[in-house]
Amino acid sequence: MNDRIVFEDVSKFYGEILGVNRVNLSIPPGITSLVGPNGSGKTTLMNLMTGLVRPSRGKIQVLGYRTDDPDNLFKILGYSTQFDAFPKGLTGFEFLYSYLRLSGQDASMCERLAWRAIERVNLTEAAHRKVASYSKGMRQRIRLSQALAHDPKVLVLDEPLNGLDPLARAEMIALFRAAAAEGCYVIISSHILHEVDIISDQVVMLSNGYVVAEGNIQSVRGEIQEHPTQIMIRCNHPRALAARMLDSNYTIEISIHKDEHGLLLKTRDADRFYLALNEMAINGIEIESIAPADDDALSVYEYLIGSEEVAQ
Amino acid sequence: MAIYRRSYKPYTGSLTPAWSRFLVLFRYSRKTLFRSKLQTGLFVVCFFFPLLCLGAIYLAHNASFLAQMGVPPQILTIDNRFFFHFLGVQSVLAFLLTAFAGPGLISPDLANGALPLYFCRPFSRAEYVLGKSSVLAILLSEVTWIPGIVLFIVQSSLAGASWTWQNLWIAGSLILSSLIWIAILSLLAMALSAWVKWRIVAGALLLAVMFFGAGFGQAINAVLRTDSGYFLNVAYLMTTIWKGMFDMPLDQTISSFDAWVALLLYCAVCLWLLLRKVRAYEVVR
Amino acid sequence: MSTLVQPGAPASTVASPRPGAPPLIELQNLSVRFGKRDILCNLTASLQGQAIGLLGPNGAGKSTLINTLLGFYKAYSGSARVFTHDIRTGMRQIRSLVGYMPENDAFISKMSAVTFVQMIGELSGLPPDMALERAHEALFYVGLAEARYRNLGTYSLGMKQLAKLAQAIVHGPKLLILDEPTNGLDPSARQRMIRMIREIRDTREMRIVLCSHLLRDVEDTCDEVLILKGGQIAHYSNIDEERRANKRFLELETYGANGNFTTAIEKLGCECAISANRLKLVLADGINSSDIFRLAAQQNVRIRRLNFRRDTLEDIFLKAMES
Repeated sequence: MNDRIVFEDVSKFYGEILGVNRVNLSIPPGITSLVGPNGSGKTTLMNLMTGLVRPSRGKIQVLGYRTDDPDNLFKILGYSTQFDAFPKGLTGFEFLYSYLRLSGQDASMCERLAWRAIERVNLTEAAHRKVASYSKGMRQRIRLSQALAHDPKVLVLDEPLNGLDPLARAEMIALFRAAAAEGCYVIISSHILHEVDIISDQVVMLSNGYVVAEGNIQSVRGEIQEHPTQIMIRCNHPRALAARMLDSNYTIEISIHKDEHGLLLKTRDADRFYLALNEMAINGIEIESIAPADDDALSVYEYLIGSEEVAQ
Repeated sequence: MAIYRRSYKPYTGSLTPAWSRFLVLFRYSRKTLFRSKLQTGLFVVCFFFPLLCLGAIYLAHNASFLAQMGVPPQILTIDNRFFFHFLGVQSVLAFLLTAFAGPGLISPDLANGALPLYFCRPFSRAEYVLGKSSVLAILLSEVTWIPGIVLFIVQSSLAGASWTWQNLWIAGSLILSSLIWIAILSLLAMALSAWVKWRIVAGALLLAVMFFGAGFGQAINAVLRTDSGYFLNVAYLMTTIWKGMFDMPLDQTISSFDAWVALLLYCAVCLWLLLRKVRAYEVVR
Repeated sequence: MSTLVQPGAPASTVASPRPGAPPLIELQNLSVRFGKRDILCNLTASLQGQAIGLLGPNGAGKSTLINTLLGFYKAYSGSARVFTHDIRTGMRQIRSLVGYMPENDAFISKMSAVTFVQMIGELSGLPPDMALERAHEALFYVGLAEARYRNLGTYSLGMKQLAKLAQAIVHGPKLLILDEPTNGLDPSARQRMIRMIREIRDTREMRIVLCSHLLRDVEDTCDEVLILKGGQIAHYSNIDEERRANKRFLELETYGANGNFTTAIEKLGCECAISANRLKLVLADGINSSDIFRLAAQQNVRIRRLNFRRDTLEDIFLKAMES
C-alpha cells in the first residue's frame, strides 16, 4: 500500500536484547501517538521507520519507499530525535541550512526553506546565536524545525514537546494539527497522556517491545471486554441517583464517593445509561459533572500496560 | 490489635551542632576512600619506610649490635639529616596517595550535578571545601608528620634529655614542613578535581602538573641559562623550603624566602580556582 | 513515621493553609541581575497557599527566582522573606526549612540510595542514627523500597527522580520546592509522582512550590498559581476561587448531537460555541443544567461529559501571556 506506513512482522534485536518483536502496523495519515513505558520500544520503532536501524526480521515500507533507501526516503520524511545533541559551533540558522544543503537543493532555496522553518517555530530572533547558548525549549524547537524544514509528508517526532512551556506546546500542537490536516503522517511519541488524548487520531501502545493496542482510543477502550465502562458523576444526592440506577439491568456496580457528593458507576451499556441519566436529571437530581472515568489514554494505558512498580 | 500505616511525619528531634557538619563529609569520604583495595594497599605501603627508620633508630642506640655487625656507629646518626630524608621519602608517597585519593573527592559531585543538593541545606561552600580537604589533610598527616613525630619521640626517649633539648626544633620543622606540603598537594588535587569531571583525568593532570612543571622548568633553565625555571617545579620549591627548615645546606639557586612566596602564591591560586567552581549553579552570562 | 489509622477521618478536598499561618514567601521589589541583564524586575507578592504553582514561559525567571530564594544567586535590590526569614540575613535558617528537588540530574554515582539520603540527612543536621532511620523511611515512602541498596548510578530516570524527592523530604522540611518533578517520566511514573505530591500536600506538614511546564500537573496539585513573564509577575491567584467563580459556564461532550441541539440551546437564550467536539455554553439567567438535560432527553442526545469549565488554568495562563 502506498498510502500507509507499513510494518510487516518486524522484529529488532540488539544482540540478545529485545527492541521490538513481531510488530504489525499500518499507519494511516493523521496524528499517531506512540505510547509506552521507557524501554518499551518507541525509539526503536522510530529508528526502524526512518531506516537508522535495520530490522532483524520483517519488512518496513513508508509510503511505498523502503527504509534502506535513504536518498528517497528522507525526501518525504523528517525526524526529530529525543537526544539533545548538536554539532559544535553552529548557529541555529547554520544548523538548519547545512542539513538542508545535504538534501541536494541549491543554496537560495535552502536559505528560504531554513528561514521559513525558523519562523514556524518562532526562533527568528535567536537564529544567529549559537545553538549551545539556547535554552532547553529553544533547542527542542530548532530540532523540530529541522524535521519539518523540507515539508516532508511523514514527520517522525520523538517527544517533541519536551521542555516547552505551555504556550509553545499549544503552538506546536497547532502546527502538527495543521500538518495532519494537509494529509501528512505525524508520528509522535509522548508520555503526557492527556495531551495524547487531545491531539491524536490514533494511538499505538507498546509494552516490552510488543504492540499491545492500536487504533482510536475510544474504539480500543470499547474492545477491552474485561473492564466495563466506568463513569463518574458528581451530584448533590448520589444515593438517590444510585437507587434509581440500581433498578436497571445495565448497572453492574456503583461506588459512592467518600465525600458523599459523587459516585462511580460501572456499566456494560453506556448509551442506555446516558439516556436514562437525561430523565433522572430532569426529575430533581442536580448533576454537577459527568466524566467517563476510563475512556482516555491514561486508563487504557493502565489497563493494558499496568502501573508497574517503578523499581525494576 | 492495631493497624499501623506508614505516612509522612516531620522531624522533631534534636539537630547536630552547626559547626560539626563538615565532619559528615569527612566521615563519608573516608569510608569511600578505603573501600578501594588499591588505596588501602598504598596506604599500608606508606608505613614500610617509617618502620625501617624505627629499626634504624633502635639500631643506632645498640652499639654492641653494630659492633658485632662490623658497622661503624657514625653511619647511623639520628639528626636533622635523618629526618630530612625521612620526610623526603614520605612526601613522595604522600604525593602518590594524593594522586589516587584526591580526584575522587570533588569530581563525582560535579559529574552528576550533586552540588546544588549540598548547598540547598544549611551548609556553606567553605564547609564543603573544609570537609573535603580534611580527608586529604588527615590522610596525608597520617603518613608524614605523625609517624615522624612518633619516630622523634622514640629517638628522644632512647637518646635522653640533652639530645631532645638540642633537637626539639627538628620536631617543629617536621610538622611545619609536612603541613605546607599537605596544603599545596591538597589544594592542587582539589582544584584539579573541581575543574575536571572525570577522576582519572584529574589524577593524570596532577601527575602532569608536577612532572611537566619540573621538566619545563629544567628546560627553561637550560635554554635561558637562568634559575627562574625552578619556580615551575613545585617539588624543587618544596625541597628548598625544607632544606631551610632543617638547616641543611641550600643550592645557590633560589632563596628559601622566594620559594615560600611562590608556594603560597600557588596555594592562593588553587584556592581561588576551587572556590570558583564549587558553587550550586554557574552564572551564565 | 507510622501513625494509627483513624476510621472515619475526613479527607480534605480543599487544600488551604491553616488560618493565621504566616505567609510562605514574601517578595518586596525583588530584583536580580546577571551582569547588565535584568532577570527579575521588582517582584512584589505575598504567597500564602498550601501548594503554589510557578508557571511561565522559558526565560521568564522561574529558576532564577527559586535559586535566589535558596541563596544560590544574590538579589540585586529589594528583599524577600521565606517563612519570615530574610534571604540576605537568614539564609541558613531558610535552608534548614527547605527541601529542594532540582530539575537536572543530581546524584552521586558510587553511593547506594540509602547512603546518599543518609548523608544528605546528616548534612541537614540529623544525628547519624536518626538520619539512617529517616533515609529508609523516605525511600519507602517514595516507592524505592526494593532498590534502595543499589548504587544510584544504576537507577533508571524515574528512580533517580524519586531518589531526588526522597533526599528533599528526609530532613522534614516545611517547604518543598519541586522543579519539573515529572520530567522524563513515563505515564505510570508520572501518575505516581503526582499522587505523591498530592499526598504530601494533604498531610499539611509541608507547603509546596511546584515549578512546571505542564498545566495539568499544576492544576491537579496546586491551589495557588504565580505566573512570571519577562522577569515580572503576570498573574497571581487562587485556582479554587477562580473555579468557583465560573459557575455559569458549561462544557459538554455529546453523542448523537447535531445542529438541532445547538439551535435549541440558543433558543433558550444561552450562547454556545463548538470547539474540537466540545460544546461550550454560557447559561443564561434562569436557565440551569436540568434544562439542558431536558433538551437532551427530547433529542435523544447522550451527554457523556459535562463540567463547569474545566480548563481554568489554561485560560488564566493564556490571558496572562497576552497582557
